[in-house]
Amino acid sequence: MRATGETRNKEVRSFRTRLFTAIMVIVATLTALGFYLAQRRITADAERNLQERFKTELSSMHKLEELRHAALADRCNALAAKPRIHAAIEDDAIDLLYPSAKDELRDLMEGDEPSPEQAARSLHARFYRFLDSTGAVIKPQNASDVGELDAKTEAQLSLNKLPDTQQIGYVRSRGNIHEVIAVPIFSTDTGDLVSALVVGFKPFELEDKHTGMRSGIWVGGNLHLPALPPAARSSLNEKITSVANGSEADQNYFRVEVDGAPQLLFYKRLNPASLFPPAYEICVHPVASWTAQLNRLRWQIGGAGALLLLGGFVASHFVALRMSAPLKKLALDSEESRAKSERAEAALATTAEELKRSTRYSADASHQLKSPLTVLRIGLESLLGREGFKREIYEELSTLLHQTRRLTGVIEDLLLLSRMDAGHLQIASTPVNLSQLVDEWLDDLGALPDSPDVKIEKEFPPGLFVAGEKRYMSLIVQNLLENARKYNRLGGRIRVSALGNGSDVVLKIGNTGPTIPPGENIFERFHHSSTPSAASGHGMGLNLARELARLHGGDLRLVHSENDWTEFEVRFSTANGVNAVA
Amino acid sequence: MIPASLLAGAAVEGRVELPKSHAAPVQAKRYEIVTKAGVLSTQPPLAVVYLDGNFSRPASLPMKEVGQKDLTFIPALLPIEVGTRVVFPNLDDTYHNIFSYSPTKRFDLGRYRPEERPIPSVIFDKPGLVTLRCDIHEHMRGLILVLNTPYFVMTDTAGRFRLDKLPPGHYTLKAWIDSRTTREKPVELRDGRTLHVDLP
Repeated sequence: MRATGETRNKEVRSFRTRLFTAIMVIVATLTALGFYLAQRRITADAERNLQERFKTELSSMHKLEELRHAALADRCNALAAKPRIHAAIEDDAIDLLYPSAKDELRDLMEGDEPSPEQAARSLHARFYRFLDSTGAVIKPQNASDVGELDAKTEAQLSLNKLPDTQQIGYVRSRGNIHEVIAVPIFSTDTGDLVSALVVGFKPFELEDKHTGMRSGIWVGGNLHLPALPPAARSSLNEKITSVANGSEADQNYFRVEVDGAPQLLFYKRLNPASLFPPAYEICVHPVASWTAQLNRLRWQIGGAGALLLLGGFVASHFVALRMSAPLKKLALDSEESRAKSERAEAALATTAEELKRSTRYSADASHQLKSPLTVLRIGLESLLGREGFKREIYEELSTLLHQTRRLTGVIEDLLLLSRMDAGHLQIASTPVNLSQLVDEWLDDLGALPDSPDVKIEKEFPPGLFVAGEKRYMSLIVQNLLENARKYNRLGGRIRVSALGNGSDVVLKIGNTGPTIPPGENIFERFHHSSTPSAASGHGMGLNLARELARLHGGDLRLVHSENDWTEFEVRFSTANGVNAVA
Repeated sequence: MIPASLLAGAAVEGRVELPKSHAAPVQAKRYEIVTKAGVLSTQPPLAVVYLDGNFSRPASLPMKEVGQKDLTFIPALLPIEVGTRVVFPNLDDTYHNIFSYSPTKRFDLGRYRPEERPIPSVIFDKPGLVTLRCDIHEHMRGLILVLNTPYFVMTDTAGRFRLDKLPPGHYTLKAWIDSRTTREKPVELRDGRTLHVDLP
């Protein structure tokens, strides 16, 4: 039992461990999943935020640029509409073009180049040129008036044809870059495109000291971004060149490394559909601060995840304990009930074993005893049959023989009982004439030598048939009649009555004499009456009679025992079809 | 004394086929300079008919006038003989800046108000077409046709013309129609006779 309890405890512990492990696995998985998702979300969010910030900054810059472009274009258009310039072009006075423009564009060219901070508000031009009807630059007579340019740079201002709308372009000259706006000049007389004015400005460049964002311009396979060291610039240039040549998107971004530091690079086509060569605005934004921020966030999430995991650990421990508690109780209960049932089973097994043993013992004992008794009986009978003994010896022999016969009866009863107990007794059921059987036994009863003087009353019809084996029926009747005689009193009576009752036949045997105290189990095997009496049997008769009656589908019971009257009742099954005739 | 023959002289009359105008013909003297496909002409169409030849230049010529009234040049087209001085009175209440980049005569009168005195003027000393512009009012356009002859006349809106008191001889009669189109016909003028010439 103790060993079983330990096993149970072990099982409960094992269950608890498994439960705990399962919960922990779920908690850990969920935490890991949550961490992963949160991490991914945050990274995505952060990147998006960065992009948004990037785009916002760029967009504000672009708005400024657009405003400046609009202002410049407005200014250029106003200039292009000047009557003197028109007169110079239309009235065949090209020689007067630049001198006229000098006056008209004086305000644009005067003064010093603005600082980068003021660039957005400044409309200061670096140079200007006119294009002839073929799109080629009209050479100025005096370059110093119109902003000097080397021949190579000036050549970049020429276009394949005159633009009919405003064009934006970017030209390089000796490591510098100029933003140019070309505005068409239509003849006020004819409406024809007669010329174009190209004005060069300092390009708008962004350098945010705070965020480290820097912008530059890529044009014609060259990157102009003075804020970057030359080596970084050239490596970046290659990437941008491949993107600019390969991609059709006007704007996009990608990650680059500049001097080992990760940067987000944004590029945007500055002059889509322009007659000037394509130019891209290049903007780099260091992601170092962003990465640091992201890492900090990751740590925070990681910490939160660890805490969650720890919480989950503790919680799952408790949950496992709570959940395993009923199980433990159940285990204990079941252990108890199992112990009980085991005990009961053991008891049953013991009883069955004992019963079996006792049955076998009875059977064995009966068999073992029967043979010597037979020898003894035959011996006594043969001695009694001899002559020449004294009378006392015959009497003695007769008593011995009587006792031997009685012993034989006991042993036979025992044998029968043990066979019944073992379930070996088979009934060969035939119709038995109960009336005849009772009559015979009553006759025998009167013939017994020690029969007291009792009056016998009979009250049953003749030819009452019951179903059973005659010798066992006979045993029942014999037992009851012998008892009725044995436990009777002097001058008493025995009353035997029988009645067919449909499917049953009830035989009643009553006798005068001492009554059986209530609560006394007279049907118990080897029962001995609590009230001492001269007459006593071996205590098996009633037991045997009842077992036999039950074996025949009937029963034997004590129906009355008071006021000098004791009555037993036996019920038999009617032999089929026989009593109906009676 | 001017000889009678000279007084009588020869005459040419006829008709110039003018470009079709979509505008309704008006009798008023008001017309303006329009450009179409880079060609300056008057609207409604008018032509200047003149006799081309070598004529002696007079010592002095009468002064002519192109006023600026209601932001237009009046007249919009002025034919003059070479050497004529033209005054440009400002008849508006605003500034005008009359200038010309035409190769025939480049000048720039600068900004001036109506009360500017003396009234700015220019002597046109070369034959040719001069486009008048105002630096302040870019739409203003005027034409001065400087001719190497004292004999010229503007047609009416129907293209009819008559030139009187012409010297007899062989000449070329020309009709300026727009900045790109001048028609011409050789004529033989006889004293006292009126020649009929149509310039289709």
